[in-house]
Amino acid sequence: MTSVAPATVADPVETKEFRDVEARLRERFPAAVLDVERAFGEVDFTVRAADLLSVARFLRDEPGLEFVHLADLTAVDRSALPPRQRKPGDKRFAGIYHLFSFSGRRRIRLTVPAEGPDSKPTIPSLYPLWRSAFCMEREAYDLMGIHYEGHPDLRRIMMPWDWVGHPLRKDEPLGGEEVPFSMTWNDPEFATLGKQIMDPPPTKAPLPKGVDPTQHMVLNLGPHHPATHGVLRIALELDGERIVSAHPDTGYLHSGFEKQGEHVRYKDFVPYTDRMDYTSAMCNNLGYCLAVEKLLGVEIPPRAQAIRVVVAELQRIAAHLIWLATHILDTSGTGMSLLMYALREREMILDIFEMICGARMTVSYVRIGGVWKDVPPAFVPKVEEFCDLFLRRLDEYERMLSRSVVLRKRLEGIGVLSKEDAISLGVTGPLLRGSGVYYDLRKLAPYSGYDRYEFDVPLSNRGDSWGRYEVRMQEMRQSIRIIRQALEDVKRTEGEPCKTTDRKVALPPRDELDTSMEALIHHFKLVTEGIKPPPGEVYFGHENPKGELGFYIVSDGGPKPYRLRVRGPSFVNIFATDTMARGQLLSDLIAIIGSIDIVLGEVDR
Amino acid sequence: MNWIEVFLIPFIKSLVLILALLTGFAYMTYYERKVLARFHVRYGPNRAGPFGLLQPVADAIKAIFKEEIIPAHVDKWVYLAAPVLALIPALIAFAVIPIGPDLNLFGRQVSLYIADVNIGFLYVLAVASVGTYGVILAGWSSNNNYSLLGALRTAAQMVSYELPLGIILVAVVLTTSLATGEGSLSLVGLVQQERPWWVWLWLWVAFPIFFICMLAETNRSPFDLPETENELVAGFQTEYGGIKFALFFMAEYIHMITASAIMATVFFGGWQGPFVDRWPALGILYFVVKVILVLFLFLWVRASVPRVRYDQLMHFCWKFLFPVSLVYLAITAVLVALL
Repeated sequence: MTSVAPATVADPVETKEFRDVEARLRERFPAAVLDVERAFGEVDFTVRAADLLSVARFLRDEPGLEFVHLADLTAVDRSALPPRQRKPGDKRFAGIYHLFSFSGRRRIRLTVPAEGPDSKPTIPSLYPLWRSAFCMEREAYDLMGIHYEGHPDLRRIMMPWDWVGHPLRKDEPLGGEEVPFSMTWNDPEFATLGKQIMDPPPTKAPLPKGVDPTQHMVLNLGPHHPATHGVLRIALELDGERIVSAHPDTGYLHSGFEKQGEHVRYKDFVPYTDRMDYTSAMCNNLGYCLAVEKLLGVEIPPRAQAIRVVVAELQRIAAHLIWLATHILDTSGTGMSLLMYALREREMILDIFEMICGARMTVSYVRIGGVWKDVPPAFVPKVEEFCDLFLRRLDEYERMLSRSVVLRKRLEGIGVLSKEDAISLGVTGPLLRGSGVYYDLRKLAPYSGYDRYEFDVPLSNRGDSWGRYEVRMQEMRQSIRIIRQALEDVKRTEGEPCKTTDRKVALPPRDELDTSMEALIHHFKLVTEGIKPPPGEVYFGHENPKGELGFYIVSDGGPKPYRLRVRGPSFVNIFATDTMARGQLLSDLIAIIGSIDIVLGEVDR
Repeated sequence: MNWIEVFLIPFIKSLVLILALLTGFAYMTYYERKVLARFHVRYGPNRAGPFGLLQPVADAIKAIFKEEIIPAHVDKWVYLAAPVLALIPALIAFAVIPIGPDLNLFGRQVSLYIADVNIGFLYVLAVASVGTYGVILAGWSSNNNYSLLGALRTAAQMVSYELPLGIILVAVVLTTSLATGEGSLSLVGLVQQERPWWVWLWLWVAFPIFFICMLAETNRSPFDLPETENELVAGFQTEYGGIKFALFFMAEYIHMITASAIMATVFFGGWQGPFVDRWPALGILYFVVKVILVLFLFLWVRASVPRVRYDQLMHFCWKFLFPVSLVYLAITAVLVALL
């Protein structure tokens, strides 16, 4: 059964400066810590590559530190940074690691300069400590060309196998080159494209490591399969209908958002975030804007914050409804009815979005410095009406599903993920909470005034698909609770601005342009140049419907990000499939994929 | 005995029946889509013709004129034979089901069934089993992993569910001896027989079990595991397209109609109803209405019961349905022996 989390969690360790971490690291590894930097309320330890494993293990296991969650792993190419941000002797590539401590409720960053020549920069792999490093290191290898020593299967994950180079390197141009998708004409696998059915090619797709086709049946699930929710391919090794191993293969939808991000101005990246996890566009907007705002250090007016919370929670419900609809459809087949019911409710939310910003899915409503426009007067009554109706409908769903013996049998004990596995695999969101780990960034690292609202974090100790189902169902109820409280704030702040008054960030109101020269200048500067944050780097993680959506931004002081890294929750979550699916039946795999709740737009970015 | 009675009348009857069944299939799809749409808060087909009534025609034209694709990696003859093998048993099972009482047409006494064989029940079971071959051969000849898995599931599922199905039918046959003292395996005889009300009650007790078996036998949701879209893409039909796919579809729906007809005949008195003695043609109407009502049950279940997992399905059959049907048979036997 779902256990509701304790109302109070451990207070954050009051060391904004992370002096204790620094002292203990320096004491234990006097030579490993090369540099410590503090900026934007974050701390950054530069660690020698050779000592990375021991430092990381120390940080993870040492009582009092317990940075058990590898939140993000990526790399930066520093070759194009302006001289003032480069120190003498800096290596070109650096691995970036974000570690989070559940007990201390704080996050640190490790910067690890890569050893070796530019053609083969090398960093030791963190795979022995965190299994989540498996996918994230492969991504960093693919996109940045970092070689992780000790990684079990380091190969491309996003780009086609015959792609030359590493796209996120600064010497790789953005456009002008031929853009090969995974089907290129010189790909022998597709040499007989269009004739596959009539005249099958004798080629065989390369098998993932460890798969034995002589003993077991190898089933290629996807990329065009009704239950993979987009273009996900899973190479399955089957013994009868029992799964021996499952290997997710991503990248079919890779669109290079991170590379794009380096070439557009800060505000122009907001629409890109809509298209990552397209079922939770509002939350993505919010996460990105909060990251940029952290870099800028701007204050957001209370009205904007309240509106942001309302729309983000509405979006969370909408995203969970999509999950519910498709998950039940996949597991039960007959859930077509439920699909229609859930979409009917989601339609109401989309109508509300359409009312406030004109768009239904790709909203781009949350902007840097506030929201696009104030909400219309009909917004508040409409949301209230939705809240009342939705709770009744949710009861209906629960009557239909939670009491269904057949559904219980389909989900109970399926895809069990133990607490330790879940943390090691780096899964976040309902997947992690379904395994009983209290990790909700709205509580642990509150933003946008979430700390002012009362809500519980549903947890389940079951760790199976049913646990995750219960967690998400409860989360929808909690979202309604938050919306109701935030809506009071929206009513209370009627008429107040919903954009920051910092003229270096948000455009001045239109009527000011007629009277104020200042405003005109700001307007001109913002439109022609854009926002120019101070140089530095920030990581901001926020709680998306699917899990922790993190934005890591390196700014060189210019109007465009120097490096924009997106830590997609779905990407990390989908790589937990293998652990969850082993030993289960083929039908269970469908329930497992459904309960992970992935959106391929975000997995591949 | 002249040629009219031996050849012409059975021929005309078969022709009419097949045409009726094929039309029934076409409008069964329409009926299903409309009913399911209502369950889903949708409208269903409403573009082609008034109330979308021409939708089945449009579907048929589309299926027929689609490009014929025979993948190169299939076992061609078996691949082509499979849909036919699936369809034929579904059609011929209807031969022993009485649709109405004898009618007086053109001065002749015409019976509304093709054949009154005295092993009607066995015939139905036997023909239904042959239907499995179509599916298995389709899965095997397609040379595709999904098809193969679907076919294997079908084989296991159909074989398992025929057991409780057969046992219930045996119990029904036992009850036929109650009224007249001698039993009969003929479905025609079963309908014409007068049975006391408590026999009806006792039969209806078995109806849910029989219905569940029939769901599994016809591969209908929630037992549509051979073709679970969400797991096996399209199961045994994955490699089929155009009219060949439509033939499988046809087989499934005619199976459903046949199954409903059997249930209407065995459990609800077939064409029997008030005033049939005076206007025998009413019998046909009663029969059709009963079949439509049973068909509605199929759709209702599809809209509201989640699908079970394959191994759970087998457990359910062997650990629950099979023992329960055996117990039912035993009680029936004791009752019949005592009375």
